[in-house]
Amino acid sequence: MPSTTFRIFRFQPDSGKTEPYHQDFVLEHEPRITLLDAILRLQNEQDGTLALRYSCRSAICGSCACKANGKTVLACMEQVEDLKAANVGGVVRVDPIGNFAPIKDLVADMTPFWEKFKAVKPFLIPDGPAPEKERLVSKEAMQKIYNESKCILCAACYSECNSLAADPEFVGPAAFAWGYRFAADARDGQRKERAKLYSGEHGIWDCTRCMFCNERCPKGVDPRDAIEKLGSIAFQEKVTSDKGARHAKAFLISMRTGGKLNETLLVPYTDPIGAQFNLPFALQMLRKGKAPSPIPHRVKHLDEVKHLVKNVKETI
Amino acid sequence: MRAAIAAHEAGVDVALVTKVHPVRSHSGAAQGGINAALGNESDDSTDNHTFDTVKGADYIGDQDAIAILCERAPHEIYQLEHWGAVFSRQEESGKIAQRPFGGAGFPRTCYAADLTGLVILHTLYTVCVKYNIPTYEEWFVTDLVSDDSGNCVGVVAYDMIRGTIETIGAKSVVLATGGAGRVYRPSTNAHASTGDAMSLALRAGVPLKDMEFMQFHPTTLKSNGVLVTEAARGEGGYLLNKDGERFMTKYAPNKLELASRDVVSRAEATEIMEGRGVDGCVMLDLRHLGRDRIIERLPQIRELAIAFAGTDPIEEPIPIRPGAHYHMGGVHVDNWGAAPHMPGLFAAGECACVSVHGANRLGGNSLLETVVFGARAGEAASSHANENFNGSRPNVPTDAADRFQERLKEMLERKDGPRQSEIRDELADAMQEKVGVYRTGPLLEEAKRSVDALKEKFKSVVVDDKGKTFNQDLIHTIETGYLLDLADCMVTGAIARTESRGAHSRTDFTERDDENWMKHTLAYLEDGEVRLDYSEVTMTKYEPQVRSY
Repeated sequence: MPSTTFRIFRFQPDSGKTEPYHQDFVLEHEPRITLLDAILRLQNEQDGTLALRYSCRSAICGSCACKANGKTVLACMEQVEDLKAANVGGVVRVDPIGNFAPIKDLVADMTPFWEKFKAVKPFLIPDGPAPEKERLVSKEAMQKIYNESKCILCAACYSECNSLAADPEFVGPAAFAWGYRFAADARDGQRKERAKLYSGEHGIWDCTRCMFCNERCPKGVDPRDAIEKLGSIAFQEKVTSDKGARHAKAFLISMRTGGKLNETLLVPYTDPIGAQFNLPFALQMLRKGKAPSPIPHRVKHLDEVKHLVKNVKETI
Repeated sequence: MRAAIAAHEAGVDVALVTKVHPVRSHSGAAQGGINAALGNESDDSTDNHTFDTVKGADYIGDQDAIAILCERAPHEIYQLEHWGAVFSRQEESGKIAQRPFGGAGFPRTCYAADLTGLVILHTLYTVCVKYNIPTYEEWFVTDLVSDDSGNCVGVVAYDMIRGTIETIGAKSVVLATGGAGRVYRPSTNAHASTGDAMSLALRAGVPLKDMEFMQFHPTTLKSNGVLVTEAARGEGGYLLNKDGERFMTKYAPNKLELASRDVVSRAEATEIMEGRGVDGCVMLDLRHLGRDRIIERLPQIRELAIAFAGTDPIEEPIPIRPGAHYHMGGVHVDNWGAAPHMPGLFAAGECACVSVHGANRLGGNSLLETVVFGARAGEAASSHANENFNGSRPNVPTDAADRFQERLKEMLERKDGPRQSEIRDELADAMQEKVGVYRTGPLLEEAKRSVDALKEKFKSVVVDDKGKTFNQDLIHTIETGYLLDLADCMVTGAIARTESRGAHSRTDFTERDDENWMKHTLAYLEDGEVRLDYSEVTMTKYEPQVRSY
């Protein structure tokens, strides 16, 4: 029988230890065992104080998200043999999900996650009264929000989110996936209001586009794609006064007028007032040759770029 | 949550108390669908739905309750749709799509791919968020609180994060904690499915009904008992034995794989026992459905089969076997979810027994029961609260909390004894081996002795974790006590019922015996012993017939 060392994050506030630490557990087990089953065996056979949330053990309840060798996973979906193979030395390191404070061991305080979920108004707000039977929705229209409907609120995306690491107030990938799920629901009547709600400080434009949420979501929800689609909805609804939206717009203007990105002009377009305060700094940078020239440079075949932009616009 | 929403809409002050966050509940694992005679795909009718359910129940379901279930079904589906549930749609019309399911004469099962439970659970939670219904998350209920006249006036709850004990007063209490599938292993049920509400009611003097009827789902994965939805057969999947034979032709020549679950599970168990299985399993073959249909309609099943069985159903058949899945029995309640033995107490969903599922539940009727009888229990509990207290607060004694405090202290101080996990595993193994798909008197008697011995052993159970913060070992220990109560009721009921009906199939009494056993079992707990009584089955227009598929 194989034997595995599990290096597990411990935080035991009742024991008088105020700082977290890691503890090694060794377990002999059948070759095929999930990380969750291994931890449950440790809990049952070696240390009853070891804590983690879990329930369905079939990747649908979303309880058991944690980090295995640094990557957020659902413990119930990971095979220990795969985790060992991927890690030098064969030790399986287990930590709680990131961007949360610990309550005990692998149990994190998810309060901010639930509060932000509630803040996106995650419920249908239809226009007008309901019909007697079901609302008619085409298969295609329903399919548009199917991917986001699969979200199990496990917070794997939140755990991996780099924007959150920099700004704890950032609403986060899962909540925005839910935001899109309602904004794009053919039955919802609050598209514009939602676009406004999700823009602004800590909103959709604060996403750093690192794509970790897409990569680590265990259900293929692709929250980053949902955030991007919310950006499109914001433009369609003309909710574009936000710095982030203006930044995106500046890209487009720059492309249309010069055929390529004029990084110096991005700043005043994005934040005209703030840019004035930064003017001395910008001039200094220019003098030292650290910033490109603000004078627009045109590419040779600008008409081709314009044609491309038009084509893209028509396909959206 | 459906009950809480109904109560909120009735204008009463309501809160949810739950040992897991609401979206973690096991309803989210229901896959295949929810039944309602919408008639979107055929000329289905409420009467057809009622008849199929009565027959599926092997005639021991209460026919008036079943009629209520089926008549309110379309309304509840439309209500869920209006709240935003993402039901799969028909190609042309945009109406809700419906698929065939076991034991049903028409395509009646509404679905959201194979994530129907998740979508409905989430929809209800979003409505609770919209209504701002206060939720006590990760609070574990340890006792029901009753006043001097025996009315239920609240619960004792243990805050799992802080380790504190509170009495929560209420004019009425609705129990909705789901099933007790963890009495068995393997089981399709979540670790949290420990039947808490049933045991709370039982200990408060409320009887449990029809506890001997445990449904074994025909298609569960061998490695860990994870569910493979009935929709896999609804969409056209075949069951094959080791010779590649579609063996259901022998057992249910008309409905084949879509006979009711008890029939299919027995057929599989027979094939395996008679040596025509493959490593203790039979095979579920979906290959002929084709890649596109599997990916569109059964995406979760594919994901789970690949993860846990190492099998991609597009390429190979999945090895499956019957596994404990759904408990037809539960808290004895009337058609409004009210417990006649304790005014103010209501129950809905799998922890309750109305009874609409009788001796065998049809696929797609469990989610339906949760919303129909959840809503009704919420409505009735609101009326009870409005009508019985003349605008004043109930008198809520705190002695139950004090008694729990004592029990807790004693439990945590105890040294030298078995851990809960050991007792739980032994119980689940004994039940699996001796109270399974096929039952027989001597084995049931053995099971009773095992349960009694484990109850004795539990008296010296030791909790390894002595702390206050998120003490899971303590919670699991209390749950294990609940499971022992429930197993005792199941086994005692099964020993007494000397017939075969629905999911209760005895090799020593192979026939259904309507003359002696057309009645509900009621199990009481008195001085630690289970006492049985019986009550009448309500018949309306459907006479018992020979049941064949």
